[in-house]
Amino acid sequence: MESNKNVMSRRKFVELFGAAASATALSSLMTGCGSTRASGSGTGSSASGTADTITFAQGSDPRGLDPAYVDDGESAKIMANIYETLLKYDKSSCDVKPGLAKSYEVSDDGLTYTLHLQEGVKFHDGTDFDADAVKKSIERQLEGNRNDDMPYASFVFGTASEGNGVSTVEAIDSTTVKITLVAASTPFLKNLAMSLASPIVSPTAVEKAGGNVNESPCGTGPYTFVSWTKSQNIVLKANDSYWDSDNAPKTPNIIFKFISENASRVTALNNGEADIIDGIDDSVVDTITSAGNSLYDEDGMNINYMAFNTQSDTFKTPEARKAFAKAVDVDEMVKSLYGDYAGVASSIMPLWMAPYDKDVTQTSFDKDAAKSELAALGITSVKCITYSNARPYNTKGGQALAEAVQGYLKDVGVDVSIDTYDWTTYKTKVQTEAYDICFYGWVGDNGDPDNFMNLLSDSNVSMNVARFDDADYKALIAQGVATPDGDARDDIYLQCEKMAADKQPWLLISHSKNLAGYSPKVKDFVIHPTGVVWLWGATKEA
Amino acid sequence: MAKYVVKRILQSILVLLGVSIIVFLIMRVFSSDPAPVVLGEHATTEAMEAWRESNGLNDPIIVQYFNFLGGALTGDLGTSYYTHTAVTQEIMSRFPATIELALVAIIIAAVLGVVLGVVSAVHKGSFVDGFSMILALVGVSMPIFWLGILLIILFAGVLHVLPSGGRIDPLLQPVGGTGFYLLDTLLSGDFEAFGNALQHIILPAVALSMYSMAIITRMTRSSMLDTLNEDYVRTARAKGLPEGRVTKHHALRNAMLPVTTVIGLQLGSLLGGAMLTETVFAWPGIGKYTVECILKSDFPVVQGVVLLIGVIFVIINLVVDIIYAYLDPRIKYSKEEG
Repeated sequence: MESNKNVMSRRKFVELFGAAASATALSSLMTGCGSTRASGSGTGSSASGTADTITFAQGSDPRGLDPAYVDDGESAKIMANIYETLLKYDKSSCDVKPGLAKSYEVSDDGLTYTLHLQEGVKFHDGTDFDADAVKKSIERQLEGNRNDDMPYASFVFGTASEGNGVSTVEAIDSTTVKITLVAASTPFLKNLAMSLASPIVSPTAVEKAGGNVNESPCGTGPYTFVSWTKSQNIVLKANDSYWDSDNAPKTPNIIFKFISENASRVTALNNGEADIIDGIDDSVVDTITSAGNSLYDEDGMNINYMAFNTQSDTFKTPEARKAFAKAVDVDEMVKSLYGDYAGVASSIMPLWMAPYDKDVTQTSFDKDAAKSELAALGITSVKCITYSNARPYNTKGGQALAEAVQGYLKDVGVDVSIDTYDWTTYKTKVQTEAYDICFYGWVGDNGDPDNFMNLLSDSNVSMNVARFDDADYKALIAQGVATPDGDARDDIYLQCEKMAADKQPWLLISHSKNLAGYSPKVKDFVIHPTGVVWLWGATKEA
Repeated sequence: MAKYVVKRILQSILVLLGVSIIVFLIMRVFSSDPAPVVLGEHATTEAMEAWRESNGLNDPIIVQYFNFLGGALTGDLGTSYYTHTAVTQEIMSRFPATIELALVAIIIAAVLGVVLGVVSAVHKGSFVDGFSMILALVGVSMPIFWLGILLIILFAGVLHVLPSGGRIDPLLQPVGGTGFYLLDTLLSGDFEAFGNALQHIILPAVALSMYSMAIITRMTRSSMLDTLNEDYVRTARAKGLPEGRVTKHHALRNAMLPVTTVIGLQLGSLLGGAMLTETVFAWPGIGKYTVECILKSDFPVVQGVVLLIGVIFVIINLVVDIIYAYLDPRIKYSKEEG
């Protein structure tokens, strides 16, 4: 009896397994094959003939949505539509204008900033935006309250104990805030407009979330947070009670989709599953445009460069560095690698940022001079380290760039050995490895010249990979930080540019353009030079 | 049988300990320092050192391992360095997507693999047999990511009949539930969302199933050919039973035993090996997420995911072995034989 019972069970098992498998697979296949509806974005439309939804596809999830706890561009793009800052950038530059602060005054000594706040503004959770909220939003990132996981707090608000940044924040009355700095800092105004650390967060929401609103963002911006499905999407909806009627959101829903593969992102755009995509390079431009979509290409705020290790025996003198630089035809290399989507760098700062570059010239290509000078200096081999990944300032990756330079140097009798690492490992290698040259780059944070020029004065070697240590240069940088915007400040950075060109700690290569693909149905979105996207003015034809 | 199960469970625990040690050491030895990634471009050397200290990365490696193991045994896999979210939460928000994809893929692979294998064996040397074997060869040989790209280009890029990636239209996304979208949408009666989720899963599931289908086809064919030559099958034919009945009731049932094992192992592989498919199809599963975390040296997440996949793989193996023993009364194990 026992045996028979077992046999029946085994039969049942096999039959049930087969039946279930067949039924599910067949239903999957039949339904799938019979269907002709592909998922699209913005399928609904409003009475005005515009779509209800705009979908923006980017490469990955944001790190989080609390401006105090993130440092990545993917987070900044989304947060820029949820939060607002006291001051905000102009659409196409980093000039600042009133934001949540309708006006401001800076004291003559540059230490006190008095900000007059907009009235009648509410956070998405219904609480009031006022001076007390500003005070709490900033104070949680100041020394004492700050923790290791606030990557931009020291950059934006400084470190008082080290003699820079914010000393106190006072709520004078409900609409007036006074911020006092330890030392005068002109970049502070631009810092207040950044999408990282600076956005004002609802103190009530922060308290409710236990100190970190990474997954429950709450600002005053044109869009409110609806949901975040990890690795898939974030959904925002228009803030119906948004205070600024001139900038009220025009499209009811915004979806940020996360598609890591560039090719898949392009297919999503061409298949109508995304309306705007970013993070692309020139290799997909034809695929985008041939499908009837449009290309957005504007100058970015970045620099792509090769650094000489100025502490190495090989390149400790400017003469050696200049001899090497003469061997590389930068114009030809940039054109060959990046086509029309990067410009040759004639200054450290992007050309659009300021007038500081006009009188600066870099070392010119001169193969014969390079050959004789390098031979005279006895330079026959050079150790190079580089990164493998594509970077925002170098869409071809560091290895392609290093190999191009290697080719030029071979022509003048110098052997360049290349070690390549993934970006994460590379960040450590530039601090620990003994190298003669390395490839690096920088994406600006706030559009202030100090943000680019101080890279060569930073004591942190992962920022200053050339290990350039020049007392005169450092003095100029310190002077520039404390000098108010104007001709005198411009002149300081012009001197920095000239000094950098003369002493050649870097071989400047290119400034990359910000590229994005978008459906021609989408109008009036803004991709700011800082890399964030502003979608409240955007519309899409239904 | 009970002794056998206990013995297998003890072996499984040893395997999991081995997995935990290996993944822990690999992450510590071969991964880069997470501090620069976590703290960002502006971090000073001092800040990075302080961060390493506060996260226990300066402790002796044996201490770090036992801290990890102690946490894992109590269900605490730590917190992601990068997002500051609990690892279990990060995993659980993505794991249903991986399971759903793997289940649909294994169903496609099992059904097609068994059917093709049986037909090939019964009609050995025929056109169908040749076709099945070529399909199996292609399935084994073709890289998944390449097949995935071809499917996307054809069905999304050219024909525009299926979405190129993702799991569901964001505005149709089910809220709450089990995390299995096909099930959740069906249970809630939202057939538009169900259809949408089904459309999204077809291409990744087909791509993911190809390799397993090829393996199952080959195994079924081989097993069926062996079984069809057994004496009892000849006896069944000699008794005058119809060929269909002989194939279905006498040959197939016995031929399925090794195939069942293969299907189980393939399911384990699919759960842990869908990284490429998930990346190509922007499928929000654990595989794609793990790759991202490896690149960021997010140790707690990678350790957690690998340990979880190890647990699942070991459990599936255990279950398959037990089912195998249960299905085949002839199987005896050393202790029981004694």
